[in-house]
Amino acid sequence: MSAAKPPFLGFGLGLRPQHYAEILNGSPEVDWFEVISENYMVEGGQPLRMLDRICERYPVVMHGVSLSIASTSPLDLDYLTRLKALAARVNPKWISDHLCWTGVHGVNLHDLLPIPYTREALDHVVDRVSQVQDFLGRRLTLENVSSYVTFGQSEMTEWEFVSEVANRADCWLLFDVNNVYVSAYNHGFSAHDFLNGVPRDRVVQFHVAGHSHEESHIVDTHDHPVCDEVWDVYRAAVAHFGPVSTMIERDDNIPPLAELVDELDHARSIAREVLGAPRLAAAE
Amino acid sequence: MSSLKDLQESFQRGILAGDDTILAEIRDSAKEERKALFGVYRQAYVARLAEVLADDYEQLHAYLGDAGFAKFAKSYIAAHPSDRKSARDFGRHVPEFLKADAGFAKHPELAEIASLEKALADAFDGPDAEPLKLAKLAEIAPELWAKLIFTPNPTAIRLTFTTNAAEIWSALREDTAPPSTRLLPEPQAILVWRHDVTSRFRLLGAEEAMMWDEAVAGTRFGVLCEMVAIFSGEEGADFRAATYLKDWVDMGSLADFRLAP
Repeated sequence: MSAAKPPFLGFGLGLRPQHYAEILNGSPEVDWFEVISENYMVEGGQPLRMLDRICERYPVVMHGVSLSIASTSPLDLDYLTRLKALAARVNPKWISDHLCWTGVHGVNLHDLLPIPYTREALDHVVDRVSQVQDFLGRRLTLENVSSYVTFGQSEMTEWEFVSEVANRADCWLLFDVNNVYVSAYNHGFSAHDFLNGVPRDRVVQFHVAGHSHEESHIVDTHDHPVCDEVWDVYRAAVAHFGPVSTMIERDDNIPPLAELVDELDHARSIAREVLGAPRLAAAE
Repeated sequence: MSSLKDLQESFQRGILAGDDTILAEIRDSAKEERKALFGVYRQAYVARLAEVLADDYEQLHAYLGDAGFAKFAKSYIAAHPSDRKSARDFGRHVPEFLKADAGFAKHPELAEIASLEKALADAFDGPDAEPLKLAKLAEIAPELWAKLIFTPNPTAIRLTFTTNAAEIWSALREDTAPPSTRLLPEPQAILVWRHDVTSRFRLLGAEEAMMWDEAVAGTRFGVLCEMVAIFSGEEGADFRAATYLKDWVDMGSLADFRLAP
């Protein structure tokens, strides 16, 4: 398995079908795209044709939503086989999914469900990440999720759990800035404690996104522009981790591409401000 | 302390069946009680899947209206927990569900609108195949035509409707008021397939539908011509069969042919 850390790709967007034509016609100021793996696990037609065109023009990373790495049900070999086949087609810079589970007994709840931060769960996840990495023949990148509940049985903080998984399973991390902000608000911890607790050399990607505020808690809806508080955490994350491939993640209420490119420019300007233009340019 | 396995089973039952056992494992936050916090997952499950159904069955949604569609979605979600990795597969049982449910089955057009939407979606990302070109067919010597066996485009799906659901779907798609539902005097054959990147459908007359079904079952062209002659008269039968064939080639619903031994 390659030991080299994946390259800094710059500033990217999640590929959404609404933007296919604009991307191919306009060559927008986007350095790379993240594709949802499951959306392209199809037999043919427009989705795969568009994917091939985007892959010809941009670096691409694959992002899954149903690996269910923390589930106690057996790993789905059919899914992993299709994931590996898609990776052979896309040649992604890395493959990510979430540090969560999505269901047991063959049910998929289509949600990123929380894990109790226990030694038992840690051993289970580390073992599963190793199995998936062996199967794919490459390192996996895991993303911290937003959560709304905490479990009485947890024995460590989320960032201790995330860091232990990364170090023991030898995988990369996708640091979702919005998810850290959301979980910090919901559970009353400091987003800065989280980011300071994660090993610098493991983080290969940032997600930045919007959310919905429900007073007593925040729901990770990805349907709003990024708010100032999340930009503040992003600023601190850039200062802590250095140049990390950054992406705006919008899944619902999707605006015209130009609006997302503007948000991406905002991320660029924050990174430039924090790191200085020469350091950012050198990373690229 | 529950094992991870027990905790996940209990969490899932809490979402699917409204079982509150899981709450014993969850802490209240400083701002909210555990039941409300767990409720975020309960609500998200139903809302997310209802949205998937609304995206995949857009015209059924338009036809039923928001309240009617919400009622349908709620009962479908309860009857069919998602068992696939891709949300795109979640609604695959909708046509059968609408046919089998006593309330919805009173309106047979619902299952038919849904089956048309499902077929169009399946064709959209179904397998790729180069369409058969007329030029390739023209290279075949006339005396060998009787031996031609055709391969349909792999995305081709045949449906048969008992109502004017196709007409209703088209009106909804055009954002115009749909016609009243009516039962058709004869079943309506429909062919769905993808041409290039666009899913299409076409109403087939009874004779053309018969010839299509026989053709994709592997019947030779010579026999297809005879069957057309039997179906509605010998006069002009070869011409009718050749016209259907040319239409299929023109619209890209055939992928290839081979010669029978």
